[in-house]
Amino acid sequence: MKNFTKTLLVLLLVLIIVPSIMAGGKSESKGEEKIVVTAMGYGDNSNQEGLAWKRIVDSFEKENPNIDIQDELLYDEAYHQKVVARLASGDVPDLAYMGADARWGAPWMEADQQYNLKSLIDTDHYDLALIPEMGPNGEIYEIPLGTSNITTVLFMNKNLVESLGFSQPKTYEDLVAMVPAAKAAGIDVVSIDGADGWAWGSCLMSSFIARTSGDLMWVSKALAGENKFTDKAFVDALGLISTMVSDGVISKKSVLVDYGTNVSNFNNEKALFMVQGQWAAGGVENPAVADSMVLMAWPKMPGEKASAAGSVAAAWSVGYGLTKSGAEDPAVRDAGIKFINYFYSQAEVTQRLRDGAIVAPVLKNFVVPDDLPNGVKQKVVLAQTASSSEVIDAFLTGAPNDALNAGMQKIASGQATAAEVAAEVEALARK
Amino acid sequence: MNKRDRRQLLIFFAMVGPGLLIYLFIVAYPVIYSVWLSFTDFNPNRGGGSSWSFVGFLQYKTMLEDPNFWHAFNNNMFVVFVSVFGQIPIGFILAYILYRRMVKAQHFFQAMIFLPQFLSTIVIGIMWKRAFSADGPVSRIIQLVTGDPTAQFDLMLYADTVMIPIGFALIWMYTGFFMIIFLANLQKMNTNMIEAAKIDGATEPQIFFRVIVPLLSGTILVSTVLAIAGSLRGFDLIFAMTTQGLQRNNAMVLPIFMYQTAFQDYSNQMRFAFGSAISNAIVFISILLIMLSNFIGKKLNAGEEG
Repeated sequence: MKNFTKTLLVLLLVLIIVPSIMAGGKSESKGEEKIVVTAMGYGDNSNQEGLAWKRIVDSFEKENPNIDIQDELLYDEAYHQKVVARLASGDVPDLAYMGADARWGAPWMEADQQYNLKSLIDTDHYDLALIPEMGPNGEIYEIPLGTSNITTVLFMNKNLVESLGFSQPKTYEDLVAMVPAAKAAGIDVVSIDGADGWAWGSCLMSSFIARTSGDLMWVSKALAGENKFTDKAFVDALGLISTMVSDGVISKKSVLVDYGTNVSNFNNEKALFMVQGQWAAGGVENPAVADSMVLMAWPKMPGEKASAAGSVAAAWSVGYGLTKSGAEDPAVRDAGIKFINYFYSQAEVTQRLRDGAIVAPVLKNFVVPDDLPNGVKQKVVLAQTASSSEVIDAFLTGAPNDALNAGMQKIASGQATAAEVAAEVEALARK
Repeated sequence: MNKRDRRQLLIFFAMVGPGLLIYLFIVAYPVIYSVWLSFTDFNPNRGGGSSWSFVGFLQYKTMLEDPNFWHAFNNNMFVVFVSVFGQIPIGFILAYILYRRMVKAQHFFQAMIFLPQFLSTIVIGIMWKRAFSADGPVSRIIQLVTGDPTAQFDLMLYADTVMIPIGFALIWMYTGFFMIIFLANLQKMNTNMIEAAKIDGATEPQIFFRVIVPLLSGTILVSTVLAIAGSLRGFDLIFAMTTQGLQRNNAMVLPIFMYQTAFQDYSNQMRFAFGSAISNAIVFISILLIMLSNFIGKKLNAGEEG
């Protein structure tokens, strides 16, 4: 009898445990007839992007009880690492934050998981004229968060500049003229998060190479073999970094400043100008700075060609798209598109605009609110007035891009010359 | 084999089996699989992962010809050096000071030195990163001491010096761990030996070097093995302490080199296989160093016995 009881208990345990292990989330979704969409969001619980994502997922699920968004929220390097790991392991999400260029689109392209959304895009909701064609045949792999992503913005604290007796600089020499006064006041002229390698490439050099070459598409031509990284234009552009450091426009210590400190320095009026992308506007929270700041292109630089005067570098904006794997099941594909449309609703896009996360929406007939913060208005003006050049890391990737970023940090800290860095990048790019 | 033996054998397998299976699936299988991958051009993200080719020793040849590998290797050897000749001796000395009650408030010091073990490595990394940043606490101290308001702590910028602040952080973080190991072993030692040495007129250094150190040689050896293994797979602290770009390139150790190759270098079509080769090199170097420390430990023990 004892043995029988034991056997019965073991059998019961097996009956309870095994099905629950085998079933996972599927039985639940089948039982409740839910469509499960696995999603990778971008952000974390401490920034606007992440908080907005969580809020949108929650409200979408409430309004659509038959759809379950099983999301994973990741930010910065954790996101990039997880994308590669998930794709490599075959655990491909149905919907994800993604780009279509060399940095944000490379893993999806390599894994052949980019899915053309063109036929699914609601043309009454989105303005197709504002969404770039991302593939060779006009494919659209993701709905960009905004029209363009300006990466080389010079944020100016107008009040602070004027308090030192200066006005908005028109030339590089105007910046140099501010150095003694700024030094006397114990502040920097231009602050950059120079400890972050990418900041030099995305936020500085992408503009400088266009200015010194006069060619807004110099980078893609270099990768196509038409230009070399050892060309005079590129070496001159790199040389501007050492010029700025030796002139005191950029401090040598900037190579030790990270992203958060850079934005904080600008917020706390420790710098007249800040180098960053347009997205950093949302991080300027000190009203005294935010309300008076001007978002501008770099002024006329030494050796600049007229054809690229006043230009800024801009990349395709990242956004959300479906993967090929996710789009295989029509139910998941439709649920995914429904979520994406919800994510890009007028109300959410307006909030994103207010948060300073985007330049301008890609929605049709979008009514721009009158009471937008100053930083947002400044972005729109910059996007409308400046011509745009290519962002380096939207084309250059891997070892040559790493060498370029670290090389610019070496130039700024006096460890390498422009010619040495250019030669290293050229060698790696042709490898 | 009688019935009792058979029953005991069955019980043995029932006890060992689950653990062994878990070990085989979670540890042994990935290691063997990784060795296999390193002889291929494996990249599951390229063309759906169906096209693998055997490439022989190509990945290892590429690895040995890559200056980044040797740079990372040198940095790793520095970390091993700091661990073996920094964390262990300091941990041992601190444990001895506490054990011999040479300071008051032993429990307070014990808790303080062991405290980093309760903190997340990422938290520790970010803390030291902030400490060494522009106008951070360390720079402020330098500015106060030198009277130069522009002075900065810039060792993190240079390949020749970046490992010094990292080594300091490593010692700060792990010394408490070794101190506790030594303290636990000291506390279970027979105190009669120390008393006998005292009666014989031995001084404190003589007690330490002639009595304590030989008795704890086994613990030193185990700690050395732990330190070497930990140093070679160390990734998180250095990754968290450095920013992407020049700092991380300068401070690159083999696990970071492996990570950057496999996860970030899209220009390398065989990057997962290359990454496997690097991880196998880490295991190989670990085994070599542990064998070396065992060999040295045995020689020293033989000397003591002689």
